[in-house]
Amino acid sequence: MKHIIHLIVNEEAREVAVEPWWTLLDVLRDQLELTGAKKGCDRGDCGACTVLLDGKPIVSCTMLAVQASGRHITTIEGLMRDGHPHPIQQAFVAVGAVQCGFCTPGMILSAKALLDVSPHPTEDQVREAIAGNLCRCTGYAKIVEAVMAVAGGAQ
Amino acid sequence: MRAQAPQTTVVGQRLPRVDGIEKATGVARYTADIRLPGMLHARIKRSIHAHARILRVDASPAERLPGVKAVLTWEDVPHVPHAGQPHPRAGSLVRDQFILADKARFLGDGVAAVAAVSEDVAEEALDLIAVEYETLPAVFDPEEAMRPGAPSIHGTERNLVIPPVIIESGDIEAGFAEADYIFEDRYVTSRAVPAFMEPYACVCRPEPDGRLTVWSSTQAPFMVRGTLSEVLGIPMSRIRVIAEHMGGGFGAKQDLYQLEYLCALLALRTGRPVKMEYTREETFVAGRSRHPVIIELKQGVKKDGMLTARQARFIANSGGYGSHGPGITWVGSAALGSLHKCPSVRIEGLCVYTNAPIAGAFRGYGAPQAYFALESQMDTIAEALSMDPIELRLKNAFQPGDIGMAGTPFLSCELTACLRKGASLIGWERRRPAGSQPGAVKRGIGVATELHSATAYPETRETANAMVVINEDGTVQLRVGAADLGTGAKTVVAQVAAEELGGRFEDIRVVAGDTDSVPYDLGAYASRTTFVSGGAAKKAAARAKEQLFALAAPRLDVPAEELESRGGMIYARGAPDKTISFGEVVQPALGQPAPVVMGQAGFAPRNDYSFAAQFAEVEVDIETGQTRVLRVVAVHDIGRAINPAAAEGQVEGGLHQGIGYALLEDMPVDARTGQALNPNFVDYKLLTAQDMPEIEVAFIEAGDPLGPFGAKGVAEDAVCPTVPAIINAIYNATGVRIKELPASAEKVLAALREKATGLTR
Repeated sequence: MKHIIHLIVNEEAREVAVEPWWTLLDVLRDQLELTGAKKGCDRGDCGACTVLLDGKPIVSCTMLAVQASGRHITTIEGLMRDGHPHPIQQAFVAVGAVQCGFCTPGMILSAKALLDVSPHPTEDQVREAIAGNLCRCTGYAKIVEAVMAVAGGAQ
Repeated sequence: MRAQAPQTTVVGQRLPRVDGIEKATGVARYTADIRLPGMLHARIKRSIHAHARILRVDASPAERLPGVKAVLTWEDVPHVPHAGQPHPRAGSLVRDQFILADKARFLGDGVAAVAAVSEDVAEEALDLIAVEYETLPAVFDPEEAMRPGAPSIHGTERNLVIPPVIIESGDIEAGFAEADYIFEDRYVTSRAVPAFMEPYACVCRPEPDGRLTVWSSTQAPFMVRGTLSEVLGIPMSRIRVIAEHMGGGFGAKQDLYQLEYLCALLALRTGRPVKMEYTREETFVAGRSRHPVIIELKQGVKKDGMLTARQARFIANSGGYGSHGPGITWVGSAALGSLHKCPSVRIEGLCVYTNAPIAGAFRGYGAPQAYFALESQMDTIAEALSMDPIELRLKNAFQPGDIGMAGTPFLSCELTACLRKGASLIGWERRRPAGSQPGAVKRGIGVATELHSATAYPETRETANAMVVINEDGTVQLRVGAADLGTGAKTVVAQVAAEELGGRFEDIRVVAGDTDSVPYDLGAYASRTTFVSGGAAKKAAARAKEQLFALAAPRLDVPAEELESRGGMIYARGAPDKTISFGEVVQPALGQPAPVVMGQAGFAPRNDYSFAAQFAEVEVDIETGQTRVLRVVAVHDIGRAINPAAAEGQVEGGLHQGIGYALLEDMPVDARTGQALNPNFVDYKLLTAQDMPEIEVAFIEAGDPLGPFGAKGVAEDAVCPTVPAIINAIYNATGVRIKELPASAEKVLAALREKATGLTR
């Protein structure tokens, strides 16, 4: 039997009927059509499904949707402000940190979670913050550069 | 002689990629993101045996499960043999696969497929399909598979996929007789997997007019269209293949997997759209890996370091099917016969079926394995001759005009410059004699080189096409057949077209990845897209420009040949006040339609080669065997970087794969059952952001006469020399040589112990 849950997704209240075994990732992608969160492994290993839960990064494929009821969720779609991409999104594009783009939404959200609490991180802190997000295209070089550029730019 | 780099304003700029914002905002739609009304979800039932005859499949309990709409077994599908890889590479297509077969040839081979109203129901239905197997003896090692009495996998002689590849030049006997020293080693490589972030996915929708629309995460949409047509017996004109965004491919997404055929058949059977996504485990097990290879290498060398003879055997483990094995065996064997000047060469390449998971195309296509062996042994030779490893390589280095493995000359070759520049950047003079440092943590520096063709020429006659259409406001549509698997191909071809046209980069809209909208292209494989598709875009832009100038000439009252263009404006040479914009040239006037300005062109070049030298500095803890790569310097001769940020990104990503290949990456199979032991990202380790070393990338941009604005390939080159550079650095640090990949802590530790006790392995 389906459960009714209430999620605050990208600052909008959403009511969804879910099966108890559905993951938050499946609900975001299949019920709410927020497909920016990607399914790279479906077992919490790759980080492509990263979203922010009350501001903290989580892998949404290993959280049941019912567990997220009542919580604030930020997906990559929620980062645009007044039609403009978030500075981290802009920096990723500007320095060439986006290649295939499949890890990009999760990577950007992990970076945002870091910068929200630590606006001027060291490079090691940036690398630690995104260590749960695998990327096979970039060697992480330009991803780290992009995050550092945003941090530097905010100073 | 170095070609002068042409003056450019768009080419050579670090422009943001054309699809960057779409991807960074989560808007970009990948195949698995597609949701269609009435869409069904499909899954594949996979063999639990590595080698078995399928006696009976009882689908009826699954068909009775509520929500199941169709089940397919081998009795329900067309039996047209196909090559899995539709690459039109002459002589290398082995048609040994069927959509579903009555025999399983590796553990994980698909034996049935289900479409249901949800993935959960489809998954449940898989368990209800009863398969009766007759298990057969299985073999996983290619040398065992070639022995008399080994289980026969496809009924071929010695389980060979193709007859042995033989590459010969010079007099090998005389070469060895002339040598002062002879070196012989055996090298073994691992089963690394491409591990792109996006698992395989396909969506098929039957259209009301009888056509079939296929969304596929493929590097080669036209190959998918052609192969589906051939195998399913559907006219090509009734199939449309779309690959808009891809989450990486690295070569492995050139193949068709069972999913494209099965998804299409299930859609046609049910009359509804069907989506099939592979799980990560399926992507590991039923995807394509790099070929595990055994290389026996024997070289003769004079005291002064000049090579006299090279003999090698390249034994590739193809797994259950041929896939790209034939092509890779050819390229790997050719690579073994190349890289250094050597007057006599004899290489034998063997591609062998086993009951392991299927190996296929993966960045480098046989060359990384070959260069691991060659560049490891070059280091051994340098050590034995007490010669600097760079000096040994420079002595044997190719120069422009030397003949490459395809029998054509290197039109541009800056290998020497790569070696010299890299030596300076890494601080080669700091390198100390092997194993000479005291203490438990030892540092070492290593070098390795590579060369790689941008294209598959001459096995494949390369071709790409492009159209440049000027819209009635002067903006530009660039239609290219090339798919963009994430490399930035669309951006780079747009830069090439903008430069040639004299247009503004931001005015170009690239249309790609849809067989109904763009002209034919073989696909994004090898390191070819900038070189071949970029060349087509350049020619198409030149033709559009000619038409623009012809229309502008009477308006400016200047002969067309005296016009030039930049920034979307046309100027009369020497008369800067005479100017008109593209938009003004083509805009419709009162009572007159806009003139049609459309340049189209194909480009079918032969190949040219890129070169690189990579340097690694490592730290090895001899108490744990753990190697840490501290720094990599990669100097690449790529002719010209059309977009330096994108080109650097290719090298940086290649290094991620190369370092992982050197130290960590392997998907072993159980020697008894053939079960893959680590098909997930916890047990198959990819380097994280914290594991990557400091990277310095540099390009030698001397230009190439064939490629657009002097560009050659870059993508595969990046991964080719990384492994031997690291292995050589480990040797330099510790004095132990690892000949079997990956150079895990266990192997390094075992080698150190053997060295200490004087025992040989």
